[in-house]
Amino acid sequence: MMQVPGDIQIIKEDNVTHSFCGLACVGWMYQKIKDSFFLILGTHTCAHFLQNALGMMIFAKPRFGIALMEEGDLSKNEPTLQEIISEIKADHNPSVIFLLSSCTPEVMKVDFKGLAHHLSTPEVPVLFVPASGLVYNFTQAEDSVLAALVPFCPQAQAGEKKVVFLGSVNDSTADDLRAEAEELGIPVGGFLPESRFDKMPAIGPDTVLAPIQPYLSRVAVKLSRERGCSVLHSLFPFGPDGTRAFWEDLAREFGITVDLRDREKAAWEKIRKQTDLLKGKKVFFTADTMMELPLARFLHNAGADVVECSSAYIIKKFHARELQALDGVRVVEQPNFHRQLEDVRRIKPDLIVTSLMTANPFVGNGFVVKWSMEFMLMPIHSWSGVISLANLFVSPLQRRSKLPAFDEKVWLEGIMPSAE
Amino acid sequence: MRLAFWLYEGTALHGISRVTNSMKGVHTVYHAPQGDDYITATYTMLERTPQFPGLSISVVRGRDLAQGVSRLPATLQQVDHHYHPELIVIAPSCSTALLQEDLHQLAAHSGVPNERLMVYALNPFRVSENEAADGLFTELVKRYAVSQEKTAAPSVNILGFTSLGFHLRANLTSITRMLQTLGITVNVVAPWGSSIEDLGRLPAAWLNIAPYREIGVNAAAYLEETFSMPSLTEVPLGVEPTMAWLRSLIEKLNFIGAQRGTPPLAMPNLKAFSLDGLSAPSGVPWFARTADMESFSNKKAFVFGDATHTVGMVKFLRDELGMQIIGAGTYLEQHADWVRKELEGYLPGALMVTDRFQDVAKVIEDEMPDLVCGTQMERHSCRKLDVPCMVVCPPTHIENHLLGYYPFFGFAGADVIADRVYLSCKLGLEKHLIDFFGDAGLEYEEGASSEEGDVAPSGSNEHASETVASDVTALGDDGEMKWSDEAETMLKKVPFFVRKKVRKNTDTFARSIGEPVVTADVFRKAKESLGG
Repeated sequence: MMQVPGDIQIIKEDNVTHSFCGLACVGWMYQKIKDSFFLILGTHTCAHFLQNALGMMIFAKPRFGIALMEEGDLSKNEPTLQEIISEIKADHNPSVIFLLSSCTPEVMKVDFKGLAHHLSTPEVPVLFVPASGLVYNFTQAEDSVLAALVPFCPQAQAGEKKVVFLGSVNDSTADDLRAEAEELGIPVGGFLPESRFDKMPAIGPDTVLAPIQPYLSRVAVKLSRERGCSVLHSLFPFGPDGTRAFWEDLAREFGITVDLRDREKAAWEKIRKQTDLLKGKKVFFTADTMMELPLARFLHNAGADVVECSSAYIIKKFHARELQALDGVRVVEQPNFHRQLEDVRRIKPDLIVTSLMTANPFVGNGFVVKWSMEFMLMPIHSWSGVISLANLFVSPLQRRSKLPAFDEKVWLEGIMPSAE
Repeated sequence: MRLAFWLYEGTALHGISRVTNSMKGVHTVYHAPQGDDYITATYTMLERTPQFPGLSISVVRGRDLAQGVSRLPATLQQVDHHYHPELIVIAPSCSTALLQEDLHQLAAHSGVPNERLMVYALNPFRVSENEAADGLFTELVKRYAVSQEKTAAPSVNILGFTSLGFHLRANLTSITRMLQTLGITVNVVAPWGSSIEDLGRLPAAWLNIAPYREIGVNAAAYLEETFSMPSLTEVPLGVEPTMAWLRSLIEKLNFIGAQRGTPPLAMPNLKAFSLDGLSAPSGVPWFARTADMESFSNKKAFVFGDATHTVGMVKFLRDELGMQIIGAGTYLEQHADWVRKELEGYLPGALMVTDRFQDVAKVIEDEMPDLVCGTQMERHSCRKLDVPCMVVCPPTHIENHLLGYYPFFGFAGADVIADRVYLSCKLGLEKHLIDFFGDAGLEYEEGASSEEGDVAPSGSNEHASETVASDVTALGDDGEMKWSDEAETMLKKVPFFVRKKVRKNTDTFARSIGEPVVTADVFRKAKESLGG
């Protein structure tokens, strides 16, 4: 157990969880940065993962690929990637190539920094992105991608006070956030990342960095250290509660006082049907995407009974406000899945937010689930995302109530012979 | 080192988990970093398993490596405590294989009795999915099968049916139904749904059926060698092969029966194999003879896949549907010799052996066949080229894991395959009408708009985004020939389903005569030169 400000107790276990590794971030990052190429120095395992688990389409020319290490490559001191880089440049003409690490070259102690530096040209930089599953969980490698982009954010002049939103969101969500900020009188410097490599935002000592995803602590620290910018410490802009705190706190950074109480109230009102359904419902988060803290906080404030909020990593300072808001909720870092399974069977939650690996088996055990990954792919930010967010939690509950009664003994017969 | 996008076969760990996920009371512990857990999702999403697969990761983290800590003993204790498996298979991943640890010793530290542990450490850089699955299955059979009395009545084991196998359940049902019709008992199906105890009972059967070249044949060979059990390793794919398979099965069992003094089995009236018991067991022989199928003699097919299905499909398309085979290939180099031997006389050229889907796509683009039978990769390549394609073997997609009864084996399987060929290919008489009169009102809207596919969990239906992806890239303007408006209009008059082919041929023709733009004149010349 460890103590954090506000006397929140975080139970820490041994990290036996079901989740993806950092390479998963390729799935959304390559789509976000449109003139990029993501090259993973990895093995058959990495390729099989991207191809299967993420179900990503086989494009004629996907903008990501694996520099495949085969047996003969294991004895070489330095991987030779020059030919592969030339092939990528010829076929894709990217403005930037991200070179992602993975477990095997990490074990081999490949000097990725040196390798990337060696392959880089002024025209097409090759940027090292630490993403190996030995260290990085699912969403955390986005943190590494953004950190690699820092040198390509121009230096903003002192006195140029603007907000830069930190985190990749789709263009329409970005437009909404920008418009909202401007309406509040907050000058917008842009987003890290923008959707083109040459359009990364200027960041300087008077930039206010506003993290909009909860898994980007390291790049925030790096920027404040290297550029002297300040980092907004607020709730993340999810749900009426988080959105209000986020905008009020952000405005305050710019000397603007706004009172968004009415706006928050109206937003809760808009989702009253959903929150009525969520009230008192027992919800269990098993840990997957590191979005668990703000999501649980929204449910907690919406009146649900969050019986466990587990997350792979909790960064005390970066997540401080969320942790305070979760006062009274059981919070677990690096949980043990076997223990969770026993607790779930005992507590019988009404809804389990969980990974792709565990969702269907929980359903088979009689529970209602929501894929944790969906929250990363849906526009749930700020005011415009409130309804989507609430619906994501409500729809599995409603759907279940609409389906006919289910006799497991009859309808699960023969589906999984190994479990019978 | 090479640049790879997609690979046909999965990893050794995936192969191992396919076997253990098939079995009761067996748990796999991956000694691996967190990322290898993606394998669990392939079962929970594609097979929609209603229980937790017996797969756990003993997580290896950078910090543990630095500190020289191994979580393996603790993980084994947790797995033993929570799930009480009869056997825990311990397997390293590609990264941990490099650490050269003594997994036997680490496992022993767990205190879990040795007879319930099995370290299965392969070189993941040398061994892939099928070889690993087949290897582990054979090991398990060797470990547990014991000599015993044969069953009184004729009985068989069905080997090689494995979790995530292609149309696994339906194929098993099709085979089981035929056995029922013949009055043959199924002793054990393995590894699918079998327990350790079931593996022990394998030698009680008279014969082993192992139709998959990839998994099960080696276990059958071991059982034949050790327990003198004959095996039937032919593939009942297509009507004639199914008949031959049945005859061979009866003959082999009767040979044993004669020694044991049991009454011989006889081939029943073939009606007995039909669903209603009153009809021909398959519609294929008649279907292939019907007048409108005559056009199939001009249809050119290309087949690419694993060993079992590549052989089965080539033979079926040529022998039973009368199509032309313009080429075939496999991604399983270790089975290439077998495929070559089986397909002797079937192929106009050499068998293609490659694990690069781009090479296969290139052949398809050059040949523009009327039908491609392939894997998920070929389906994508063909979409881009607008070439008809049906998926006949792994790697698969969620679309290949359907609820209905669609076997590929047996008489019912022949019907399913013929239907799919028919639906995939452009039609016969209808095609003549279209060719003659232009679009015949069948024009489809072209150029659907698009966005690239979302990152969708493999369980979700990606169909929509995929169709769309089919492909903006294909219309990309790099290196493509310019067409005048007039030529474009003329191209529009060509039936829609051959339009891409005509465009491509015309481009090639224009280049060959040094024309930078396809004008109406060039188009006409091309038509003359290429014969319309």
